Amino acid sequence: MLSRIADSLFWLARYMERAEGLLRVTSTHYILSLDKDVNGPLTWKPVLETFTSCTDAEMDAIAHTTGDALKKLLTDNTNHNSLKVIITKARENARGIQDYITKEVWEEVNSFYHLIHQPSLDKRLSNFEAADILDLFTRHSVLYTGITDITMARGIGWGFMNLGKYIERCLETIILTNKQYQRINYRMDEIKDIMLWRHLLMSLSGYELHLKTYRSSLYNHDVLHQVSFNEDFPHSVVYSLGRIDRHLQDVTRKNSSEDMAALMRCFGRLFSKVKNTDLDVLNNDNLQQYLEDLRNDLLYFTTLLSQKFFSYA
Amino acid sequence: MDRLKLLDQYNSAADIWDEMYDKQQIRDHYSKVFTSLEQFDVSALQQKDRLAGELFMNQGITFTVYSDDAGIERIFPFDIIPRIITGKEWEHIELGIKQRLKALNMFLKDIYNDQQILKDKVVPASLVASCPHYTRDVFGIKVPHDIYVHISGIDLIRGEDGLFYVLEDNLRTPSGVSYMLENREVTKRIFPELLAANHVRRVSNYPLLLHEILLQMAPTQLSNPTVVLLTPGIYNSAYYEHTFLARQMGITLVEGRDLVVDHHKVYMKTTDGLEQVHVIYRRIDDEFLDPLLFRPDSALGVPGLMNAYRKGNVAIINAMGNGVADDKAVYAYVPAMIKYYLNEDPILPNVPTYELHDPAVRKYVFDNIEKMVIKQTNQSGGYGMIMGNKVSAEDWEKAKVAIETDPRSFIAQPIIKLSTVPCFIDGTFQARHVDLRPYALCGPQGVQIVPGGLTRVALRKDSLIVNSSQGGGSKDTWVID
Repeated sequence: MLSRIADSLFWLARYMERAEGLLRVTSTHYILSLDKDVNGPLTWKPVLETFTSCTDAEMDAIAHTTGDALKKLLTDNTNHNSLKVIITKARENARGIQDYITKEVWEEVNSFYHLIHQPSLDKRLSNFEAADILDLFTRHSVLYTGITDITMARGIGWGFMNLGKYIERCLETIILTNKQYQRINYRMDEIKDIMLWRHLLMSLSGYELHLKTYRSSLYNHDVLHQVSFNEDFPHSVVYSLGRIDRHLQDVTRKNSSEDMAALMRCFGRLFSKVKNTDLDVLNNDNLQQYLEDLRNDLLYFTTLLSQKFFSYA
Repeated sequence: MDRLKLLDQYNSAADIWDEMYDKQQIRDHYSKVFTSLEQFDVSALQQKDRLAGELFMNQGITFTVYSDDAGIERIFPFDIIPRIITGKEWEHIELGIKQRLKALNMFLKDIYNDQQILKDKVVPASLVASCPHYTRDVFGIKVPHDIYVHISGIDLIRGEDGLFYVLEDNLRTPSGVSYMLENREVTKRIFPELLAANHVRRVSNYPLLLHEILLQMAPTQLSNPTVVLLTPGIYNSAYYEHTFLARQMGITLVEGRDLVVDHHKVYMKTTDGLEQVHVIYRRIDDEFLDPLLFRPDSALGVPGLMNAYRKGNVAIINAMGNGVADDKAVYAYVPAMIKYYLNEDPILPNVPTYELHDPAVRKYVFDNIEKMVIKQTNQSGGYGMIMGNKVSAEDWEKAKVAIETDPRSFIAQPIIKLSTVPCFIDGTFQARHVDLRPYALCGPQGVQIVPGGLTRVALRKDSLIVNSSQGGGSKDTWVID
């Protein structure tokens, strides 16, 4: 497979996964913002902090106006991480590999792109049609995932797509989790209301699983277990890393050079760190460090991966 | 809703050949389509028109118009009413194109080897020497099976007399074949009953024919040669076509940066290391192919490609240097080439062409400019054209100076009123001018042409310029028996 194609497949999948994450977080936040929060009206600040590079002043200006915040997150061209920009980049990657991906996948990405470029969108976002629009986008995002799964061939390209997808997903889980624990100053021992965790769990589509799986009221522990170590939860760190492991084996199977062995070792260290950590040892003092280390290790692995496979220009 | 009274509104002019209507009645081969179209009301046709637009849009068959930093995607205009050619007319066109390509291939072989045609003074040596597309660097290079023009898109027009003329030979990287194929696919969606009732000859095997020829061009006897399609990238206006063809043939679509030349062999950079490439179907112009030899600023090409080509380690399709044979001034000599190489009379006539280096001819052209069109020999896409009946006095004075200074770069032709066909525009049927570009493929077994081709249509009223860059669109083209 051409290195350029592998690179574009990797990024197409990453951007589409990022779009889905952004949509879930935004939808969850939008719905919850319609209720009054325990601490007063919900602000968009945490979402803006996670998904934009706005300055504090810019954020304060729009954090309490839902329409403006939605525009910033979804349709603003100046926000490098807005849904519109992400989908445009995804489409650009898809366009460069149109001969490799299936016609169905291309058409789905293309129609998503045209949808988000409709000029009437901004107006509708301010007009209380936001829920409809978010639903529509989420449907397209899910449709993309389904179409990709049904139509794409399971070759080496599939491996690169999944590497992109699960690296992005794993990063997203780590970042969102970190953000949420930061809000309670990483205090694992404090008992908190489940309502406070609803935001994170719904953003990761894990709320129902949580209710079904965890019976104690040690929410701070339980949530951390779910998002980090629960192997059945498709957005958990350990699940994502497990997928990365599998697809890494697929793409390196034909290549037994020392470079590849080094890449595998780098990933092995990261994966075993998660697999071999006990939940009990994570406490008020080391949780933040643990999450940040995980993120940095994953980013380092990603850099190594792109050096090994995607150097062509 | 109103049924359309086609003929009541149809505005074909008296002195122009109309493909559907011969001034008294509907031509036979249009009668079935005509009757069926009369069954539709306006809103049904408008609905079909919209559906066609959506189909093109969703598939991404678009080009980008940039205005105030936001790119707007537009589709290439498509007119839903098919253009029809009879089987008999088609046989004639087919024979004519085959003959012409045979002669043009022999000309290219000759001109880059023995140059017999120049020595015999059939084509003036000065004309070839002054052609910017004559490529000295490929002189003496042997190409597989002596084929230079594998893929051509020869433009035909039909004059007032109902005869087909060759307007120009596109022998470098002709584009548009994907539109021919997609137009048919869209027609299958919007007029399934019409297609089925008319027994239209199929075009869909074009990519398979092309793939077969590409495989046969591999320089060595390999059981499984690697064929790639070389594209300038996603910003090229024909990029959709490149992906379409690569996908239909199942070959890899590469950009210049994916390829590297090592020891006179071409490789592509893959995730498992380098993999040798044997055949390149390039959609990049000659001057961008190898920055070491041609334009050093080209980022689209592959450094060293020319050396690999010269050594015979890679086949490039179409061959390099073909531009000399489709130069607009050399075009005037194609009938002479047919006579010289094949000892036959041309089946498809040329449009009369005046070379402007002779002062007497120049005077004649200048005196009759309102009946003439002036073309620049090194331009295409409808650019640099002066329609003598429309040009302003001021522009014409400027053009005259340019022609006097460099007559080799211009030719003149009488303005030919292209034939018209009905188009569905603003809810009515209106006559618009069209040309025809059949796509011919030349392989070791001879020339194959899929029946039909691309009908380009000048959608602006009374315009004779069909190029997409100048407000042109396209139509599905049917050959029926």
